[in-house]
Amino acid sequence: MYQYSQADHQLLQERVSQFRDQVQRRLNGDLSEEEFKHQRLRNGLYLQLHAYMLRVAVPYGLLSSNQMRTLAHIARKYDRGYGHFSTRQNIQYNWPKLEDVPQILDDLAKVEMHAIQTSGNCIRNTTSDPLAGVARDEIEDPRPYCELIRQWSTFHPEFNFLPRKFKIAVSGATHDRAAVAVHDIGVRLVKNDAGKLGLEIYVGGGLGRTPMIGKLINPFLDPHDMLTYLEAILRVYNRLGRRDNMYKARIKITVHETGEDKFRELVEEEWSQIKDNGLRLRDEDIENIKAHFKDPEYETLSDFDADYDAAILSDPEFAHWADKNVELHKKDGYRVVYLSLKSRNQPAGDVTANQMDAIADLADKYSLGAIRSTHRQNLVLSDVKLKDLHRLWKELKSLDLATPNYNHLTDLISCPGMDYCALATARSIPIAQALTERFDSYDYLNDLGDISLNISGCINACGHHHVANIGILGVNKKGVEVYQLTLGGSAREDASIGKIIGPAFTADEIVDAVSKVLDVYLENREDETETFLTTYRRLGQAPFKERLYG
Amino acid sequence: MTLQVYSASLLKEGLVAYLCIDEDGISWSTDLNKATAVDENSIDSLKAEAERSEKENIVVGAYAVEVTQTANGLEPVENRERIRAYGPTISLPQSGSGLSGQHAA
Amino acid sequence: MGKFIKDRKPQEDSWMPYTGLEDIDSLPGGDIYIPMEEWQNKREELLLRNGKLGVILENTDDVAALKDDLDRLDLIVLQFPKMADGRAFTQARLLRERYGYKGEIRAVGDVLQDQVFYMQRCGFNSFELREDQDIPSVIAAFDEMTVTYQPACDEELPIWRR
Ligand code: SF4
Repeated sequence: MYQYSQADHQLLQERVSQFRDQVQRRLNGDLSEEEFKHQRLRNGLYLQLHAYMLRVAVPYGLLSSNQMRTLAHIARKYDRGYGHFSTRQNIQYNWPKLEDVPQILDDLAKVEMHAIQTSGNCIRNTTSDPLAGVARDEIEDPRPYCELIRQWSTFHPEFNFLPRKFKIAVSGATHDRAAVAVHDIGVRLVKNDAGKLGLEIYVGGGLGRTPMIGKLINPFLDPHDMLTYLEAILRVYNRLGRRDNMYKARIKITVHETGEDKFRELVEEEWSQIKDNGLRLRDEDIENIKAHFKDPEYETLSDFDADYDAAILSDPEFAHWADKNVELHKKDGYRVVYLSLKSRNQPAGDVTANQMDAIADLADKYSLGAIRSTHRQNLVLSDVKLKDLHRLWKELKSLDLATPNYNHLTDLISCPGMDYCALATARSIPIAQALTERFDSYDYLNDLGDISLNISGCINACGHHHVANIGILGVNKKGVEVYQLTLGGSAREDASIGKIIGPAFTADEIVDAVSKVLDVYLENREDETETFLTTYRRLGQAPFKERLYG
Repeated sequence: MTLQVYSASLLKEGLVAYLCIDEDGISWSTDLNKATAVDENSIDSLKAEAERSEKENIVVGAYAVEVTQTANGLEPVENRERIRAYGPTISLPQSGSGLSGQHAA
Repeated sequence: MGKFIKDRKPQEDSWMPYTGLEDIDSLPGGDIYIPMEEWQNKREELLLRNGKLGVILENTDDVAALKDDLDRLDLIVLQFPKMADGRAFTQARLLRERYGYKGEIRAVGDVLQDQVFYMQRCGFNSFELREDQDIPSVIAAFDEMTVTYQPACDEELPIWRR
């Protein structure tokens, strides 16, 4: 993990004092709400439906056990005993008081955490592959590149008042677990035939009102040029991005209206003027950052463990979990474990303070103290020994963190919706819970296989419904919450935007509608290995439409 | 008959509050049933007080909310306002909590 | 004039904005700044005049258009029509870093305490503050943050190369 330098610490301290002063000025009336809003948003503080909401950055999804304990402490001391992991790998608190926020930030700073740029029209927290550094399919570890982007983008003086928010994601594996195609900038680390490392740069992806898949504007950028190239993109965007209409202000619209080729040309032209400046990365710059992300001291282990095999045979429940929520690790004898935040008992992504503390302890005990958050609102213990899995599972189960559903139907993404969100047009959590309750059978989920279902409570699409195999969007129709069904989206390397299948369903109908969609799939798949998405792409909308509305 | 109350967020706490006017003067309560409800024609007096509270940095984002008088007290007309008044419709995560459905879909 | 800070100190502002230029002879004496368009139209005549000259740009103007004239201009004024509109940050950096402008770059409009830190990093050195701003607090805000990560006008190298 990245270790803070003296300067990093100082920056957080200065930021806390600055925000303390801003809050004071707001409370005594020297700052108007309108102006304070820009400042509090740059510190992740929203005013939501019921209360303030504080979004704390989890840089590219990495958390230490100590940091997790501080998150628990904050939930307990300043909030209502829980937090919510978002699709941007960050954690949100739903009930902090404005007066307490400077102190919360101070507590966070002690463990090298903050809320800087987690909101506002600036470069947001960079997201990444939750399996970075441990994935078997990794081409190159994306974390050093994320950290360089974090440093470059933090308080960037030129890009702190952009036309709109700006999100960057980096992935370094064959499989895209960071949804790079739906970010303002997506970076994929790739190797060419000669084995040389390069970056694919995608620009202008995004969801919301006008969902778009990012355009590949550079297929093989020298990694040393990453930051100068990003700077060129941001500069073109800061100049050309629309400021007359908030719904057209994202870079996806800039790219769309300028034209992909013209946009590329503008970026290249800008870049040609700055590509050799001090921001160009030298080998040692990259190496120095890489040194922060060295492998921990893994033991040399066999990839077989007799006790584990015995437990699998004797304990079917454990076997189910191991089949669903455990993934291979690049080191033999280790495994990656998904902690499902999608149980029947809590909203997707929610974790109580007690769970957080327990997760921190489990991370210390079984996973070298390392925890990750994922863009699908789960947590990961990245370095668990095969021989410890059974013990770990028992503890996770008692914490309600072992629902065996990773990448299955009930591993759904749900935004907070109208239960919390001031912008919502409908609720999402009750729908998520109704679905989770209905599709509770392990055998059924197992039979359905790999599938994604995402729910958003309004067109802002924080729940990524457009890129789910099955997407649900809550809208308000004459005062009634209704739900639009979208099919065929994907957020992975084969990214696509789903299509609305037809008229919306009421809250009472939507679960049945999903059920029918699943029936059509199960009846029509070629065999059990054909996933929902493949079947849908093969058949198109027609049979689904027919079943739903016929 | 629908009535109007004035609602806003308390600046310090961020919580939802309603404007109450009585002989002691004006105050903001998190309890909708303490709110002063008026018919549409008298809304301007509430508006003026609410705006004053905004200027005095007591509340943020004040606006009028439509309510009806029911046997249980005042009830907002719109779904969103009902959720603001009564809190999330799901049970909040607490160790050991289960599903609830007080007025879930 | 209103509240004005230059080179981190409260100062008297010697400059006058001037628009509606028709006849060169009718121009007032002293230091004036005029809109970009008028500068482009009457460039030759304006250069014959005594007294310092500045130009005010719209934040949509391309600063490259001034690149050959920079040593004739003592002041370039850039605008923040709204606090949230950050285009002038880019304009200022380009003037300083790409075109090597050495004169005064001034921020006008919504020029507020919480932004001057970023403005100075992008090359602004004078500030027409909005009327409600407190001058000592604004001056203190230049040093509120001392850590900077990325290169800008005040630092050629990122933190990892310093
Ligand atoms: S999608 Fe809409 S309702 Fe859901 S969190 Fe985002 S803004 Fe709120």
